[in-house]
Amino acid sequence: MISERAVVHGAAVLLLATVLFPALWMLQLSFRAGGDIFDLSLTFTPTFDNYRALWTGLFPGSFSNSIVVSLAATALSLLLGVPAAYALSRCRFRARRSIALWILATRMAPPVAFTIPFFLAYRFLGLIDSLPGLVVIYLTFNLALVVWMMRNFFDGVPRALEEAAWIDGCGVWSGFRLIALPLAAPGLGATGVLCFILSWNDFFYALILTRTRAMTAPVAIVNFMQYEGWEWGKIAAGGTLVMLPVVVFSIVVRRYLVRGLTAGGVKE
Amino acid sequence: MLAVQPSSIKRAAENRRPARTALPNWRREQRRAFTFGLLPALLVLVAITLGPTIYLIVTSLTPLDPVHPHSAADFSDPIGNYRALMADRRFLNSLEVQLKLSAATVVLQLAAGLGVALLLNAGSRFLEAVRTAFILPMVLPPIVVAVVWKVIFTPDVSPMHRALTAIGLPVHSLIANPDTALGAIAVADTWEWFPFTMLMVLASLQMIPAEPIDAARIDGAGRLALFRYILFPYIRPTLVVAGLFRLIDSIKAFPLIYVLTNGGPGTATEVTNYYAFVESFNFSYWGYGSAIATLMVAGVLLLSWLIGRLGVEAERDD
Amino acid sequence: MTLLERRLRRRQLLRAGAAAAGALLLPGRAPAQGGAKPLSGTTLNIACWSSPYAKLLTDYVPQFEEATGAKVNYETPSFPIYNQRIDVELSTGGSSYDVLNVTFIYIGRWIGAGWFVPLDPYLKDPQKTPADWEPGDFLPGATAAFKDPSGRLYAIPWTADIYMAGAARYDLFEKSGKTMPDTFDGVADAMKAVHMKDGIPAFLPENHYGWSFIPWLQGFGGNVFRDPPEDLTPVLDTPEAIAAADFFAKLLRDYGPDGVISYTYDQVVATLKAGRANYSPNGQIFLVQMGAKDSKVAGTCNFSMCPAGPKGRFPGVATHGWGIPAGSKNKDAAWQFITWAMSKPIIRQMVVERGYSSITRRSLIDSPEFKGKLTINGHDIVKIYLDTIALGAQGYMKYRTIYVYPQVDKQIDIAIQNIASGQLSATAAMTQAQQDSLAELKRAGIKL
Repeated sequence: MISERAVVHGAAVLLLATVLFPALWMLQLSFRAGGDIFDLSLTFTPTFDNYRALWTGLFPGSFSNSIVVSLAATALSLLLGVPAAYALSRCRFRARRSIALWILATRMAPPVAFTIPFFLAYRFLGLIDSLPGLVVIYLTFNLALVVWMMRNFFDGVPRALEEAAWIDGCGVWSGFRLIALPLAAPGLGATGVLCFILSWNDFFYALILTRTRAMTAPVAIVNFMQYEGWEWGKIAAGGTLVMLPVVVFSIVVRRYLVRGLTAGGVKE
Repeated sequence: MLAVQPSSIKRAAENRRPARTALPNWRREQRRAFTFGLLPALLVLVAITLGPTIYLIVTSLTPLDPVHPHSAADFSDPIGNYRALMADRRFLNSLEVQLKLSAATVVLQLAAGLGVALLLNAGSRFLEAVRTAFILPMVLPPIVVAVVWKVIFTPDVSPMHRALTAIGLPVHSLIANPDTALGAIAVADTWEWFPFTMLMVLASLQMIPAEPIDAARIDGAGRLALFRYILFPYIRPTLVVAGLFRLIDSIKAFPLIYVLTNGGPGTATEVTNYYAFVESFNFSYWGYGSAIATLMVAGVLLLSWLIGRLGVEAERDD
Repeated sequence: MTLLERRLRRRQLLRAGAAAAGALLLPGRAPAQGGAKPLSGTTLNIACWSSPYAKLLTDYVPQFEEATGAKVNYETPSFPIYNQRIDVELSTGGSSYDVLNVTFIYIGRWIGAGWFVPLDPYLKDPQKTPADWEPGDFLPGATAAFKDPSGRLYAIPWTADIYMAGAARYDLFEKSGKTMPDTFDGVADAMKAVHMKDGIPAFLPENHYGWSFIPWLQGFGGNVFRDPPEDLTPVLDTPEAIAAADFFAKLLRDYGPDGVISYTYDQVVATLKAGRANYSPNGQIFLVQMGAKDSKVAGTCNFSMCPAGPKGRFPGVATHGWGIPAGSKNKDAAWQFITWAMSKPIIRQMVVERGYSSITRRSLIDSPEFKGKLTINGHDIVKIYLDTIALGAQGYMKYRTIYVYPQVDKQIDIAIQNIASGQLSATAAMTQAQQDSLAELKRAGIKL
């Protein structure tokens, strides 16, 4: 007698395996030695050669570039965006709705629309192939995300607590620091992680605006893919390495991530 | 560490002075403080979004091209680029390809997201863990998704092709075939983004109050009827919003096309975003590329406005 | 080659090279007493597309660093990526690179727009160029490609890659009673005979059709432009062009492997070496790799000149060269690198040690070592090479020097893809290519 619950669970696991299969396939490819790639057998002796071969050349540098840029972009967006989100949440600005819409629009704009003017401006300012250049252009999607999501989280913190503090002589920003921020901390964490992931994942801006010094990991894979002429083992290893930080990160903060992703999407 | 003291509230009540927050000065002070907090972000946003957008539009009015250094200030034929675009067969083709891709991906992602959400809605801890695992495709770097699917779509190394050949249904390379290339990209895109709609639908499902569901069950409603008459009306607004979000995001499709097909075979998968990229960064037609990008931004703004209005409707319905 | 083997070889080369480098250090820059190296503290950024030559050079770069004290950042992205990035880089007048490859289809655009510096001042200066470096030693046909109308030279050619044909499994040809085809009809005939013998598809060119299709276009009597460089009207929709496209695309469709239009040059080489495709009209630098040590077809490969069409034989010649971008901040050091990389000892080393075959120095082409190296599986590549170079000097390659060729190149790619994948007929595809090319030329400001 199989309970309905078991059927549902079983179906869920089966579906999960099917969905994750492509990624897992790439993972196992990365451990195959060069000659075995076209081999039809499912068993093989795993090897780290592909990973070792990757760790020469531009790949490690691009990795550290990705880390630096993602961290900096996240920090900057939070610094600018969280106070703005708080202000939008607590204060009845007249332009509130249009600001919200504008922020939504910037998130939605196709990257090529920003890349052309930024590219032309950066070549004038000498910011092509620089890490600060990337951090600034990442603000175009990170800042909007931070304001959007943190405003929702702050909306979820009842005003009454701050109002009581204000009565008591507490300044607006002290109230923010002592009351609202700690209560919205999970949201802050989720937003920060999301910013990091979005910055890490960016491909288009890095492709156009970097050359060699500031190349990030996603661009390094493509560079590498073309360079190595379809050595699938190495390509798979590259893909695995680039996705590793994001996957690890997501697992570690999964609870906040899910809450963050749904809160960002569902509410207006 | 709360700054609120119960004693202060008591004190205020005893003194029967107007609360500090009722004073007009306080209002103004507060407003100033809030503006102070909002301003840096707003200024930065203006600088990095409004500025470039204006520059984009201005550039689209010139035939800017690095081979001709004086083209940057050449406003002799401001709508020249737009006129050329309307007659550009490749541009019009890219719009058609874009429409087809967007339609396919939105429908598929809504369907897949809805299906998985319904399956996972039972509310057990196990299913919650599974749900988290389903998010993986969405958080992967899009370029990695492209590499994963490049492997799947390359007959030499693909498990899918091998399996099909093994059961006697060998299939030709899907991305080299113009009839299936766009579909292949749609599948890869759906795999990447269905978790988004799944999460939104799940959240929406979990907000449905229990009473109507219980009442319907007591009345003997089957699963299908339950879905059709109770669940679906509740989640429809979410589906619409999710669909619009995905529609706007589908316009940005790039890494999959860059890695899998390069816009080919021929121009079968050359969407507008990709065409703009080719014109701007393969041949440096910056004026022309700006014109394409401007049209895209206009389209996206329209859709964003639509989302905003629908969001308003949704709020009013609540 | 495993990582360890590569490291060992690098060390061997380094030791041998340091000795040689000492001998070839430029005059006027003798190593200073006390050991200060001439370019200490200089960093050179160098890039070229991932041709076999450029990849080979990677192993020799440490010699240069050792001898001059310079630090070299050397990168070799793939052909389309290299061209796209460098085009953008050059167009902004950037100084990110000091030595760059001038790609053959971009010669008109990059040199015509003044994005590279003329090299004549360097060549004439005996301090900068030793007499025994012999600039006159380079094939005139190859250097001619890099001169502007007034005769100034902008790049030193490192290859004159010729378009020829190779068969990975010639044994299958023989079994079917066929020889290496010499005419287009002969090719069609042979492909039909050997297709899927031993499970191997017969026909596999690389998918840069703006290069691999043109010999067929011209062989049918068609051309890209009416009369370059004077008359730049594209003529892609003439009956000859349509016939050529139809013929070529049919070969792809009927005799190519699955997904043939997605095969890049790297993929083609890998596939040929693994013996998973047979006949390939392609560049020499790629085809000779069939004779490499790790190639499964080293014992069954064969080669021939580019086949001739009804209107003649028009094998393409792709010249690539090293140039110095106008924005470079280390032009003198860059020139030192170029003279080193193109010096006789280094090129001889490449030929002798690594079997590199597509060289541009006449003295080395005539040398016995070259002739010896260029015999693969008993077949003489040198004769094919020299005969093709001679043909190439006739001038049918002028289409490449036009600065808008990259755009038309892309239109040709699209057209052949459309025909081979069955989306459009040859007439429709070539007409479309013609219309779009006219639009592109107009957009580039060309008055026809």
